[in-house]
Amino acid sequence: MASRSVVITGVIVGQLVGQLPAARFGLAPAHVRRAAWARGLRRSFERLGPAFIKLGQLISVRPDEFSAELVAEMQRMQDAVPPLPAEAIRAVIRSEFAAEPEDLFETFDNKPLAAASIAQVHRATLASPYRPVWGEVLPAGAEVVVKVVRPGAAESILGDVAIVRRLAERMAGTRLARRFDPVGLVDEFSSTVDRELDLRQEGRFADRFAFDFRDDARVQAPRIVWTRSTGKVLTMEFITGWRLSDLEIAREAGVDCKGLAIHGATAFMRQVFVYGRYHADLHPANIFVTPDNTIAYLDFGIVGYLTPEERMNITQVMAALIYRDPDRALRYSEKLGVHVPPEHVEPVRRGLGALLDGDVRPDGTRDFAHFGLGFLKLLGEHGVAIPSGYGLLIKSLATVEGVARALYPEIDIVETAQPFTTRILARAMGDPVRLRERMPAAVRAALRELVV
Amino acid sequence: MTDDVMRFFATWLFTHEAADEEIKAAIRRGMSGGPEGMSGGPDAFVDGLAAMVEEEKEKLKADLAARARGEEVASEESADPALDEIRFEVAELRGRLDTMESLLETILRKVGG
Repeated sequence: MASRSVVITGVIVGQLVGQLPAARFGLAPAHVRRAAWARGLRRSFERLGPAFIKLGQLISVRPDEFSAELVAEMQRMQDAVPPLPAEAIRAVIRSEFAAEPEDLFETFDNKPLAAASIAQVHRATLASPYRPVWGEVLPAGAEVVVKVVRPGAAESILGDVAIVRRLAERMAGTRLARRFDPVGLVDEFSSTVDRELDLRQEGRFADRFAFDFRDDARVQAPRIVWTRSTGKVLTMEFITGWRLSDLEIAREAGVDCKGLAIHGATAFMRQVFVYGRYHADLHPANIFVTPDNTIAYLDFGIVGYLTPEERMNITQVMAALIYRDPDRALRYSEKLGVHVPPEHVEPVRRGLGALLDGDVRPDGTRDFAHFGLGFLKLLGEHGVAIPSGYGLLIKSLATVEGVARALYPEIDIVETAQPFTTRILARAMGDPVRLRERMPAAVRAALRELVV
Repeated sequence: MTDDVMRFFATWLFTHEAADEEIKAAIRRGMSGGPEGMSGGPDAFVDGLAAMVEEEKEKLKADLAARARGEEVASEESADPALDEIRFEVAELRGRLDTMESLLETILRKVGG
C-alpha cells in the first residue's frame, strides 16, 4: 500500500514537473498555468489506471467546483485501455458461471468489441430465446454483448480509493481545498464506483428505462439477459447504429437527425422532470441513432436520482430560464439547497438577469450551456456552495444540448423545453395540496382586481 | 330580486368580457413566443400557458365538431399507470429469479465438477 502511495505521488509530481516549461516555470499568465497543471494531472490520471480515470470523469462533470481548464482537460480523458487477452475475460466468465462461454452462448467472439478501464466487451449470440423484463422476446441466435469486469479492477480501484481518501483528508483544510470539499468528493466518487463495479445495477436501470419509455417507439435501451448476468458479467442486446461522430453516414441512410435531436432532448427532460431518474453519463459514445430512426441509450453506469420535490423545483428553475424570470430561478434554487447570503442576493440576481438576457446565439437560438455553466460560475464567484446533484444536473442538461446540437445544429433546447415544463407546472397547479395553499391568496387577488 | 339577478349576470358578463380581452392578449403574446416575443418575468409564464390552453381549446373544438359529425375521436387515455407499475415490478422480480436460477445452476456445476 505504501509503495502504491509512492507511485501515485511520483507519477503526479513527475507529470506536473513535466509541465513546468509550458507554465513558463510559473511566470505564464494564470489561465496558461492552470491549463498546464490540468494537462499534467490528466496525463497522470490516465497513467495511474481505472480509479484515477473514473475520478477524472467525475471532475469533468463538476464545473461548479473545479476550474474551467481542469474540467475541459478531464473531459478529454480517454477511457480506452489496451484490451486484455481473451483468456483473462473467459476466466472471469468461467469463475462466475462455472462454464465455458461456448456452453453459455451459441457463439462467443474472443475478439473484444471495446475495452475500458473497468470492463471489456465481447460479442456473442444467444443459444436459446430469452424473455427480458420489458420488451419483446430475444430469439435464439440474437446478437448480444457481454460486458465483463476486468479481473483485478475492483481490488485495484478500491485500494486506490482508500489511498486517495487519505490524501484528501490531508488536503482538507489546506489552501488547495478552498473551493471544494476533497473528502466529500472522494466519498461521492467511491459510491459511484461501487455502483459501476456491480453491473447488475446498470442492468436494472436499463430495464427501468425501457419501462419508463414503453410508450415511445423512438427511444430504446438494450434488453438485459438476466440468465447470463451476474455482478461481474452483464449480457445485453446488441444494438446497431451510428455514433454521433458518424452522423453523415446516418443522414445518407435516411435518418431524420432533426426529429431525433428534438425527440432526444425531450426524452431527457422527461427523465428529469417526470421520472426523477436520468442517465447522467451522456456523451457521444453512449448514444446511437439507429437505422429505424430511434435513439438508443447505452451504458447506464452513472445515473442521477431526484425526489418529487426536487423535480418540481428543477422544473420551476427551467421555467424561469424559459420565461427569463431571475426571481423565480433564485427562489426555487434556494429550495434546491443553493443558499445565497442576503448581502449577495441583489448582485447575483442582476448577474442572473444579464445571463438570461444574454443567452441568445447569433442564429437567434437560446444557449442553455452558456446560461447553466455561467450561473454555476456566478454562484462560485459569490462564494455560494453548490449541492452536488444541482451541478451534475446542469452539466447533464448542457451535455444534452451539445448532443442535440451534434444531431441538429439549429436546435433551440430552451424552446424545446417550453411546452414540456409549462405543461408540468400547469398540471401541478391542479394539485389539491397546492390549491389549498394558494387559493386564499388567489381569491384575495381576484377580489382586489374586482374592487379596484 | 330580479334586479339583483340581472345585476349578477351583468357583472359576470362584464368581468368575463374584460377577462376575455386580457386572455386574448396573453394568447397573442404567448403564441409569438421566443426571446423577442415575450417580455420575460412571471407574466411571460402566464402568456405561455395561455397559448397552450388556446391550443388545447382548439383541439377540444375539433373533437366536439368531429363527434357531432358522428366521427370516431381518438382518446388520449392510457392504461392505468399503477397497474403498469405492478406489471413492471413482477417482471423485474422474474428477472431476479432468472439470475438466482442461473446462480443455482452455477453452484450445482461447481459442486458436480
